[in-house]
Amino acid sequence: MKSTTTPKRRLMMTGVPASPGYAMGRVQKLVNQEFSVSSDPILPERVPKELSLFQKAVRQSLRELEIAKQNIQKMVSKDDARILDAQMMILQDPTLIDPVLEAIRKEHQNSRWAFHVRMKEIISQFEQSPIQLLRERSVDLSDLYNRMMALLGDSGPVMSMEGMTIEESAILIGHTLNPSHVIKLKQGQAMAFATDTGGSTSHVSILARALKIPAVSGLSDISVKAEAGDFMIVDGSNGLVIINPLDSDIKKYKAKIEAFKRQAQELLTTRRLEPQTLDGKYVKLMANIEFPMEADEVETMGATGVGLYRSEFLFIQKGNPSCEEQTEAYRYIIHRLNPLTVTIRTLDAGGDKIIPELSATDESNPFMGWRSIRVCLDKTEIFKTQLRAILRAGEGCSNLRIMFPMISSVHEIQESKRILAAVKQELLDQGVDVPPYEIGIMVEVPAAVIMVDELAREVDFFSIGTNDLIQFTLAVDRSNERIASMFQPHHPAVLRMIHHVVQAAHREGITVSVCGEMVTEPLSTLLLLGLGVDELSMTPWNIMECKKFIRSVSYEEARTMVHQVMSMSHTDEINHLLKKKYMQKISDLGISSFIVTADFNKSDRTLVKLNDHIVNLDVLE
Amino acid sequence: MKIRTLKVINKMGVHARPAGAIVDITSRAQSDVFLIYGGTRANAKSILNVMMLAITPGSEVQFEINGSDEDDTFQKLEKLFNDRFNEEHYDP
Repeated sequence: MKSTTTPKRRLMMTGVPASPGYAMGRVQKLVNQEFSVSSDPILPERVPKELSLFQKAVRQSLRELEIAKQNIQKMVSKDDARILDAQMMILQDPTLIDPVLEAIRKEHQNSRWAFHVRMKEIISQFEQSPIQLLRERSVDLSDLYNRMMALLGDSGPVMSMEGMTIEESAILIGHTLNPSHVIKLKQGQAMAFATDTGGSTSHVSILARALKIPAVSGLSDISVKAEAGDFMIVDGSNGLVIINPLDSDIKKYKAKIEAFKRQAQELLTTRRLEPQTLDGKYVKLMANIEFPMEADEVETMGATGVGLYRSEFLFIQKGNPSCEEQTEAYRYIIHRLNPLTVTIRTLDAGGDKIIPELSATDESNPFMGWRSIRVCLDKTEIFKTQLRAILRAGEGCSNLRIMFPMISSVHEIQESKRILAAVKQELLDQGVDVPPYEIGIMVEVPAAVIMVDELAREVDFFSIGTNDLIQFTLAVDRSNERIASMFQPHHPAVLRMIHHVVQAAHREGITVSVCGEMVTEPLSTLLLLGLGVDELSMTPWNIMECKKFIRSVSYEEARTMVHQVMSMSHTDEINHLLKKKYMQKISDLGISSFIVTADFNKSDRTLVKLNDHIVNLDVLE
Repeated sequence: MKIRTLKVINKMGVHARPAGAIVDITSRAQSDVFLIYGGTRANAKSILNVMMLAITPGSEVQFEINGSDEDDTFQKLEKLFNDRFNEEHYDP
């Protein structure tokens, strides 16, 4: 299939900057081309449904190809885009389609099987072609095959890392990755990854940032374009990749990697400085962590504590961990950081964080499905086991906060508190020395914002989860690349919601933390500061950059800015004002801002003009 | 009905892109269009059929065109073949 004589062409592709940093290495593919497919026939009455399923998959594939084609046209060349024209023609070719429809109609084959059989026939003909370019093009047919099989199946493309040894210098390429893949990366130590789908706020991207692995997502068809063994550069800071780079690219990126390390060292010096504004307003900067071992970094990075420990990652790793396993993990974090605050969020399974033992897999809308606190209040034994583990882990410490996610009603928090109190009583009865703790909730569902006055009376603190709050408020699926630009943290509706929560919390005398990804954008930091948020919680290595920014502004100017912004009704207007006032400052400070670089990214992404001031700490040793 | 012969003068033969360009013309034609090569007669409106003929560089192919826009369709195909499928600059 792959010709050894064809010289490798340099190919630059752009996607979404998912996790900052630069890496160079050899491509290793995650896609397992073998789909499981069964020849089981369907019932005659199922035929119409099966036909429409197949036609739907064809239409969806055509849409995906059209998007990929437009991207290639914009970023590479018209000539390269023509290959996708051919793919689209093939997918509409009666020579391919008619026998499939016929097999479903007459022989009652299931659509997956019918397509599989027909496509494999065609692919094998191509592979035997005397024309070299046609033999090579069997790769395109395989791409079509994979695309369609994924759409025809209910479980998505079969991707597997089982039995794969990830090379230390590997750049992992896949159509899509899920968090369980990325977790395994930590042990495998891949250098970077690049995927066809996903946006910058999907959990995979968040994880990649936590693991300090540069990543680019939303690349449309990188999983087809890159071949195993290709040399490749991943620029996670700017969201681009270069397959088969020129020597000049390599030289340029070697320099970038060096500069990155130097700037990382320089930022380390801010570690011991106080996180306060020029006029003395103190903001707690906390860390979001997924793994107990990350507790070690919390102090290194100069955080004031842990604002969010995502306990579900223990469940993703271990299935349904025992009370002892959980206690051990939580104890490590709590004791390691005492007296710094440690906020443990109870199990937040579901959405895109699938735990096989605990998640429904047949939901059409998993983000609004059986997830998070809903699972816990249903499966109370699992919930109680976790609460027991948390209370036991905190023995002898005074830094524990327990946080319940996805609360959408007063009833849910009261119920959660009732169960927690029962667990506490059991432990007291057994003579366990239960530590003091604070109780809080994630405010991430619009209903919680509306009910915030009542909720404030129930708890000691709020933590606003902006990722979900934005998603639910704006009705924008953050992992859908087509509407990714509509996921706007500075949408007036979002800012007003945050304002409303802060006001209510402060009236009740409780604190407000914000723990979504928007915290790490300096322009958002400014707004959150001006809105009166007490704590910001973020991936640990972003803390120093955030601190540097906070130390360069005054609380007074942030408040003035918020005052102006709250009267505006357009996101663009808000971002324009922020950019106008702070672009220069951000550039001078040498810190990264997606918003400041956004226009540039859209219009011209040649390497020469890339912003050289982008700084992050992902290469920190 | 018209049967005309054309020569493939590009370097790489009729692979995906040239096949796509041929079908781009034939699929817009009112006429039925068939492509005859190596003893096989294929529907020239199907990209897979055209590709699977595996037409090598330097060979001659026949187009069988039957319908109201025979001449117009043939002229477009002739131009495409003579222009080497507009891709001689392409260096894979």
